[in-house]
Amino acid sequence: MDARILLVEDDPSIREITAIGLRAAGFDVSSAADGPTALERWRQEQPDLVLLDVMLPRLDGLEVLRAIRRESTTPVVMLTARADTIDVVVGLESGADDYVRKPFELPELVARVRAALRRHAPEADGDGAPRRMRLGPVEIDPGGRSVARDGAPVELTRTEFDLLVELARHPGQVVDRDRLLDRVWGYDYLGDSRLVDVAIARLRAKIEADPAEPRLVLTVRGVGYKAARDA
Amino acid sequence: MRSLRTRLALTLVLLVTLTVAAIGIGVYAFVDASLRDRLVADARQQADFNLSVLLPAIQPQPADRAAFGASGLPEQFRLRGDADVIADFGDGEPWVPARLPRALDEVPPALRTIVGRGELGYAWQPMGGEPSLVVGARPAAGPSLYFVFPARAVEDALGQLRLGLLAGGLVAILLALVTSGLIARGILRPVTAGAAAARRIADGDLDARVPTGGTEEMARWAREFNRMADSLQSTVTRLEAAQGQNRRFVADVTHELRTPLTALVAEASVLEASIDTLPPDGRRAAQLLVADARRMRTLVDDLLEISRFDAAVEQPAVQAIDLGRLVTAVVAARHPEATVVLPSQPVVVDSDPRRLERILGNLLDNARAHAPGARVEVSLTPVTGGAVIVVADRGPGVAPDALAHLFDRFWKADPSRTGGTEPGGSSGLGLAIASEHAALLGGSLRARNRPGGGLIVALSVPVTQRLPAGHAADTRAADPRGASPPASRAGS
Repeated sequence: MDARILLVEDDPSIREITAIGLRAAGFDVSSAADGPTALERWRQEQPDLVLLDVMLPRLDGLEVLRAIRRESTTPVVMLTARADTIDVVVGLESGADDYVRKPFELPELVARVRAALRRHAPEADGDGAPRRMRLGPVEIDPGGRSVARDGAPVELTRTEFDLLVELARHPGQVVDRDRLLDRVWGYDYLGDSRLVDVAIARLRAKIEADPAEPRLVLTVRGVGYKAARDA
Repeated sequence: MRSLRTRLALTLVLLVTLTVAAIGIGVYAFVDASLRDRLVADARQQADFNLSVLLPAIQPQPADRAAFGASGLPEQFRLRGDADVIADFGDGEPWVPARLPRALDEVPPALRTIVGRGELGYAWQPMGGEPSLVVGARPAAGPSLYFVFPARAVEDALGQLRLGLLAGGLVAILLALVTSGLIARGILRPVTAGAAAARRIADGDLDARVPTGGTEEMARWAREFNRMADSLQSTVTRLEAAQGQNRRFVADVTHELRTPLTALVAEASVLEASIDTLPPDGRRAAQLLVADARRMRTLVDDLLEISRFDAAVEQPAVQAIDLGRLVTAVVAARHPEATVVLPSQPVVVDSDPRRLERILGNLLDNARAHAPGARVEVSLTPVTGGAVIVVADRGPGVAPDALAHLFDRFWKADPSRTGGTEPGGSSGLGLAIASEHAALLGGSLRARNRPGGGLIVALSVPVTQRLPAGHAADTRAADPRGASPPASRAGS
């Protein structure tokens, strides 16, 4: 596999054992103990994924996340002490793809990292050629992993892209949150449904004409979401 | 039991009524007596004058009706004193005024007796339908004479006085009726204020005080009340501060434990991966280390969770939830062997899904830990205003006196069991946490023993908002399968 991971964590013990565990799982790991170092390493090494502790000295983890998002769609998984703080929601809104709660066991962490890296390989449709899709003014090219609205390219993270593809494949059909968590985030058991809701909000902000009045990605109360059939 | 205010108001009205009646009767009696006394005095004076001056001037004294009429006396009496006269000669043929043909019969017998004895007497007597004062006397020789003075003016004045007094009295009583309620409220205001302040204090508002103005007695009472409230407030504040420090300490300690614990749990999990390469002694130690790290993780997680409830910082994140889907998903993740019974229609509530997952997960963990291998059934039932999720196991159940402590912190059914060394051993906080979450969602957790053996825990969840019918139809039409079966989820 040899995916390259940047691990940002200030506690030396946690940093060291996590690096050991990730290397044992076959990843190429480099690490940073604070925000500025993390950004420097990220620019130099262009890793495939960033594991980011949100409580960092000098530069807050959320600031690091925003700096990364300004320049790239690299998958970012947050490490967080608590799942229910505002940090998690702010982190997700700022573009994090997933989060892992501390304390974590290495197999848990590796599973989340793999899921975030996997983010579907291009969908093959029978004869192997990925089918282009259209949702109203939005054109989706699963093969090139690119999206355009009225011909202008739209920059989506991998999570946002997969979410859009998952919904657009079956226009008009409701997809519940659990299924989205399973298909997009790789949670085969209970995941945090806020992951879905926040990512949907981010997606709408990028593709809807008016995110407050969505016409392409619709909410089905109490269940989940669906792509509009006749958008 | 009538209220004090009503009784006070009624007493006020009664007092006003009695006072008005007494004054009215007194005034009337006084005026009545003085008006009549003056008329009587005038009449007697006139009668005396008639008998002593006018009558002796006629000689000889008239001895019968014809002579009396011819003497001109009736006209003189009328001119001098405005009095009609009746002359009784004892022969059944009295002289009577033309307007009073049966006058003698109307003179009261008592007056005639007095006059017959030769004394002067009077009586208030309607004569010919007109109120009159009759004064009678008999001169030494001659007929008994009765002078009829009109009393209409006096009676009219008294009648008007009666009307006036009655009307005034009624007005006063009506006024009393109208104002007594307000007056009573005014009198009772300090008492009402005290009751309101006491109720606010009972409801937890320790800042409530009563105003200390008003009468001296009430002001003293208010000061004492406020002193009591001050003392209560300072005691409660002190206790709360101490308790708050205590809780903060627990939260801080737990939080500080988290960083080394995170390292420990990660280290243990890495160690576990290579446990087979260790020599036997070290291997056993590593196994125990891994299990204890997990136990510690559960305990610290649970302690942190419950200390957030103590800090009262928890806020539910409410959204519409299809409970059937949620129950199916949680059971599939936490206790796949349990059977799930759902109603045919979707049950949608506005609640916090993560908390519901936590509650149900903890109930399932508890069932698995305390009824190992036993059948577990999870059912969802819509009820008025909400839904009930029941987790029923066929395990041993708990002792009846232990049911009340089931949701207590660190309470364990069997005191000799201390969390257990089995992996994933419970912290003793799972049900307490579930109960706190349920309360936060406006619901409740109740436990009872199952008649055939086993424990039943029921979670009540309120519907905070009804789903519009159109949306429910939308849900079913779009996904007729209902909740996605766990098998398909695990496979993908």
